[in-house]
Amino acid sequence: MELDYEFMQKTFFEVWQGAGVTLSLTALSLLIATAPAFYLAVLRLRGSTASRSIARLYVSFVRGTPIILQILLLYSLLPSILNVLVKAAGLDFNIFESVSPFWYAVVVFSLNTTALLAEVFRSALLAIPKGQLEAGLSIGLSELTTYVRVIIPQALVVALPNICNVTVNLIKGTSLAFLMTVKDVMAIGKVSASYGYNYIEAYVDVFVVYLVLCSIVQVLYRFAELRLGAFRGNDWN
Amino acid sequence: MLMQIRGVRKSFGDHEVLRDVNMELDRGDVITILGPSGSGKTTFLRCLNFLEQADGGTMELAGDKINLASASKKEIASVRKKTAFVFQNYNLFANKTALENVTLGLTAGRGMDKAKAEEIGRKALEKVGLLERAGYYPAQLSGGQQQRVGIARAVAAAPDVILFDEPTSALDPELVGEVLAVMKQLAEEGVTMIVVTHEMKFARDVATHVIFMADGVVVEEGSSEEIFTRPKEERTKRFLKRVLPEDYEEGALFI
Repeated sequence: MELDYEFMQKTFFEVWQGAGVTLSLTALSLLIATAPAFYLAVLRLRGSTASRSIARLYVSFVRGTPIILQILLLYSLLPSILNVLVKAAGLDFNIFESVSPFWYAVVVFSLNTTALLAEVFRSALLAIPKGQLEAGLSIGLSELTTYVRVIIPQALVVALPNICNVTVNLIKGTSLAFLMTVKDVMAIGKVSASYGYNYIEAYVDVFVVYLVLCSIVQVLYRFAELRLGAFRGNDWN
Repeated sequence: MLMQIRGVRKSFGDHEVLRDVNMELDRGDVITILGPSGSGKTTFLRCLNFLEQADGGTMELAGDKINLASASKKEIASVRKKTAFVFQNYNLFANKTALENVTLGLTAGRGMDKAKAEEIGRKALEKVGLLERAGYYPAQLSGGQQQRVGIARAVAAAPDVILFDEPTSALDPELVGEVLAVMKQLAEEGVTMIVVTHEMKFARDVATHVIFMADGVVVEEGSSEEIFTRPKEERTKRFLKRVLPEDYEEGALFI
């Protein structure tokens, strides 16, 4: 077996051009998911019986189905639904041509990440002792103020390792976006490979890119955890 | 009369924790509540600050009469403004420095400006002997220091009365003294306190009035001298005999 190193080198830089799509897909999904995930977490902890069940149902739907199925299903469903809506509104707008598949990928991964982050937030909020809220109330803070100033900042630090997990899994998970013809790292690698059947070379390139991206993200989270968690004292780490 | 509490009742499920508890105190009083565990003393204290909601009872505090079972948000806020709570487990805000712990209630709770709050906060920390630890986080303080910050947080609010819930029970024995010393100093300065405690010496030496509770009722109350040297009720005698063997049977500690 002989590897085509020249191809490998050339492709390596091409594949990197997909890093922007991979990272923006990841960042957008995380950003969009954060607020609804927090809301779901609070619902599961403090909501009525009905809203608790709805929140739980949503989480188990997402966790109980493979992401590849969610992608295929939504990618088949969403454009058609949107098309019907646009037509019903009487607009002259071609959904199938005008909406980049990137946005469908954002929708799928946001919905997915919402469920995962909701669980992360829920367990982090549960990890903060009840006495913190009581202390806030006893000195005359409102419940909301106590959450904003005391409980959420602590819960965030507790949640960071798990948020890091979700992020890294999301970076890797977005590689499935090539199924929706999104031109991310994975898709570029596959396309380059298919010209001359240099699959091994291209996949090694893709492999390295994901490894580098995920490692950088982990270092950043570690740094954030140390900074934001400084109050836990030095002996904690 | 600063505070008058009448007919406090509270149940957890089928278990009746408080049955008609009454209490009154004047400004400058130090009331200690003694009793075996499970007697309801902590629950009683928590009801006064609405950390638990009582099933019945009234409280008159500095002229306002409030129903403990059905107080409005506004009434609860006004009570919390006039009282402060010191917790068994300190419950300092873990993500705030000692000084921020003391000032947060003033700034975020009462809208005081930061400079004024810090001035008050520093004075309060100085009072408990921890001014040089102002920038430390709770995780960097010993248990005794954390509880002293907890007391400073209560003092800074300038409440009419400070409620202490077993403030030394979670401390290592060698750290109990520093906390009790601060409390004693506050008592001497005339701060009004209600203290649930197992520290008999503190109760005996500092309290102006001692309440003995058991099974959700006040069994006996009186001056510390009355309770410790001439208890009337059998229940009180048995309790004191168990926690103060040396005063009742000479040499009991040596057996």
